[in-house]
Amino acid sequence: MLLKIDHLSKHFDGGKVKALNDVSLQLASGKSYAILGESGSGKTTLARLIAGLESPDQGEIYLNDVLIGSESHHVPVEKRAIGFVFQHYALFPHLTIRENITYGISNLGNKKQVVEEMLELVNLEGYGARYPHELSGGQQQRVALARALATKPGLIILDEPFSNLDSTLRVDLRTDIFGILQKTGVCSVFITHNSEDAMAIADEIIVLSDGRLLQQAKPEIMYSSPTTPYVARLFDPLIKLTSSLLEQFRYQPKPDARYFLRTHHFSFDATMDFHAKASIRSSTFMGKHYQIEIAIGNDTFYVASPQKPSETQVEIGWMEKDLMVF
Amino acid sequence: MQRRLRQYANRNRRDFNGWSFTALAVTLFIGVPTIFIFVKLFSGPGESWKHIATYLLPGYLRNSLYLALTTSFLTICFGVGSAWLSTRYEFPMRKAFEWLLILPLAIPSYITAYAYAGIFDYGGSLALLLRQFSLTMGKLDIMNIHGLAFVLGISLYPYVYVACRAFFLHQSQHLIEASKALGKGETRSFFKLILPIARPAIVGGVILVLMEVLNDYGAAKYYGVNTFTTGIFKSWFGYREPETAVYLSALLLAIIFGLILLEQWQRKRKKFVTEGKGGTALKRIQIRKKYRLLFTAVVGLPVMLGFVFPVLQLVYWASLAIKGIQWDQLYGVVLQSLLIAALAATCCVFFSVVLLLAGHSNRLRWVQQFSKVGVLGYAIPGAIIAVGVYIPGLYVDKWLISVFKQFFSVKIGLLITGTVIALLYAYVVRFLAVAYNPIASGKQKVPNGLIEASKSLGKNTLSTFWNVELPLLKPALLGSFILVFIDVMKELPLTLILKPYTVQTLAIEAYQYASDERIAEAAFPSLLIVATGVLPVIFLNRLARKD
Repeated sequence: MLLKIDHLSKHFDGGKVKALNDVSLQLASGKSYAILGESGSGKTTLARLIAGLESPDQGEIYLNDVLIGSESHHVPVEKRAIGFVFQHYALFPHLTIRENITYGISNLGNKKQVVEEMLELVNLEGYGARYPHELSGGQQQRVALARALATKPGLIILDEPFSNLDSTLRVDLRTDIFGILQKTGVCSVFITHNSEDAMAIADEIIVLSDGRLLQQAKPEIMYSSPTTPYVARLFDPLIKLTSSLLEQFRYQPKPDARYFLRTHHFSFDATMDFHAKASIRSSTFMGKHYQIEIAIGNDTFYVASPQKPSETQVEIGWMEKDLMVF
Repeated sequence: MQRRLRQYANRNRRDFNGWSFTALAVTLFIGVPTIFIFVKLFSGPGESWKHIATYLLPGYLRNSLYLALTTSFLTICFGVGSAWLSTRYEFPMRKAFEWLLILPLAIPSYITAYAYAGIFDYGGSLALLLRQFSLTMGKLDIMNIHGLAFVLGISLYPYVYVACRAFFLHQSQHLIEASKALGKGETRSFFKLILPIARPAIVGGVILVLMEVLNDYGAAKYYGVNTFTTGIFKSWFGYREPETAVYLSALLLAIIFGLILLEQWQRKRKKFVTEGKGGTALKRIQIRKKYRLLFTAVVGLPVMLGFVFPVLQLVYWASLAIKGIQWDQLYGVVLQSLLIAALAATCCVFFSVVLLLAGHSNRLRWVQQFSKVGVLGYAIPGAIIAVGVYIPGLYVDKWLISVFKQFFSVKIGLLITGTVIALLYAYVVRFLAVAYNPIASGKQKVPNGLIEASKSLGKNTLSTFWNVELPLLKPALLGSFILVFIDVMKELPLTLILKPYTVQTLAIEAYQYASDERIAEAAFPSLLIVATGVLPVIFLNRLARKD
């Protein structure tokens, strides 16, 4: 195992703010991971603890089975050989792109070669003599990646790498960076609040909420079998099926269980496993789908449908396999 | 409880690194005089204390208090008034006044005091001028406590001006528009709204003024006013009782710490003051044509009083004395002054950088808090620091003499108090904050991400500082150097106590000529100090404008 984290906790403000609470996880070499969570979930704290920019209050961090951080031991960031790509790139403004890339290389002999390799890798050949402010946001992000990769780290952490970019550039750069990292074979950890980014780039997703690790799984498994409604909601909007609503669908709920469905798992089809009569209150065109307000008895909720029903009284249903029970 | 203690000990052991040690060592090194004086407060005064406490101390207290109150009042009038008028209204020369109003800071208050004594003297410049118009001047004695308060007021108002101007510039136009919409006119809005919300800025500026008032020795001595600081000198040199000087210093130090606490308290309050965030900047009002010159005259008054008149008087004196100037000797004094100031400024910048780096790279919060003690020196009057340096320095000197005699059979002199070492050390103690603050504020502007990025690329703290922070901090380092340089050039009480016999500075030269009533000869060194002060004042203003 490349990185092993055992019962890691970190508090701020003299213990008032629990940024990370008893987190344990393992990362394997060569794989790509996404740490997914909303702001304040503890994902950046976890990344900073791994990199050595913070030290833990409890728990241990092992890199290649060597203890690098604990309550009584701290290997400084400069000695961990973990690459870090910062959210705002943190390119040194007084250095050229070439100087930025060679900054962390101690071997004088192969500096020139490494720069050429890295510039080629990130598709920025010919940009070596420029200064950071002369590049676009996407180009600066690539330079930041090249600079971190130039030191040949065993693990690279990318803190919200796409958050400063607009949506079109975001998708292009995401594909590019994923390709670059695959070529190098380095283990990468993406810190992100965007589930789409996480799905697109990660072999495994780690979900954090309120400083706790909720689930670590492959994207497909996490999507199909989330362990909590919170995890499920990160990927799609959910509807909580109350007992009164389940009764309308003639479904027998178990006591102490909570039932959820993704909004697009409803269908205006009487052949579904469970269905009920519903009236359509309103429908709004959202581009990819219609957002339709449904009323069944006293319950109202919104569903997503590719088509707009032509009548106001409809039969709506869902398949049992799509039902999420927690 | 036991577990918590163990956790605390573990973390301290883990996080105590070389930088923590450096931070503690530098802070203790810089803090020696302050700690020494504080400790001495508990060991009692010397024999003449009873006499001083009975006959002199009430007078020191009364005079110091009167000076503090009157100077505060004058600096508020000049400082707040000129700051508001030059921020709110558009009139001829307004832009020039932005920096002209700061110029009095370039003249040490004791030199302004000499100049005014010359202006109002019987047969002085004013009398001569009036005689040209066949007028005579009644007796106007300025060399008393009221005159001293006036001189300190016009010399020190820029502290209040700078603080208030920065505050007014950050106020929103919406605030004053809201006041006007509620029926208050321009003048009432100023007194009812602007003045109360500017309180933190005013208090901040006035506290700096008070510290300077308590630090003053040269002006008070020349005008024959006994204050706490002159009392320290009298105990030291008059009664030959260092213990009493230390005791007086400790009392004054307690007052200063009271002021520091007051300042911190009011700074906390500042957070609750409404500031015009997100609003539009204050719009300037065009003055009607017939009033424009009046505004120029009103705002120009403090500049005339605090800079132009004293400088003209000095120039006049210098023209009288120019033939008698011994240029070789003056050249030597200038060289010594520049060298000492440059050395002191370099030391201050060096220790500031070390303290900042150590504070930043040390991972223990209590060490970081403790290291703030290192920059308290600026609040402590020079005379106190001098006493706090001289007496421990003498202990070390005696110890060194005995060590050299015993082990090497070599007879040495006073290595610390007999050379510039004690003087330089005292300058570092006193002016470290002057160098530290601009560098610290420059460092704050270097994004933390750059430092973390450098470290994540394998560079340690020193390498990161050298490669990333230093190139970005160059203007701040230069600014710090210049500010300390000029403060050392102007410094008087500390230099008077600690300078070796062979060393002479421009400030001491001016003071000695003035003390010997050879006031015209004091003008040339005084003008040189002013000249070296003008440039940094403009630089300071530019720096503040950028901020």
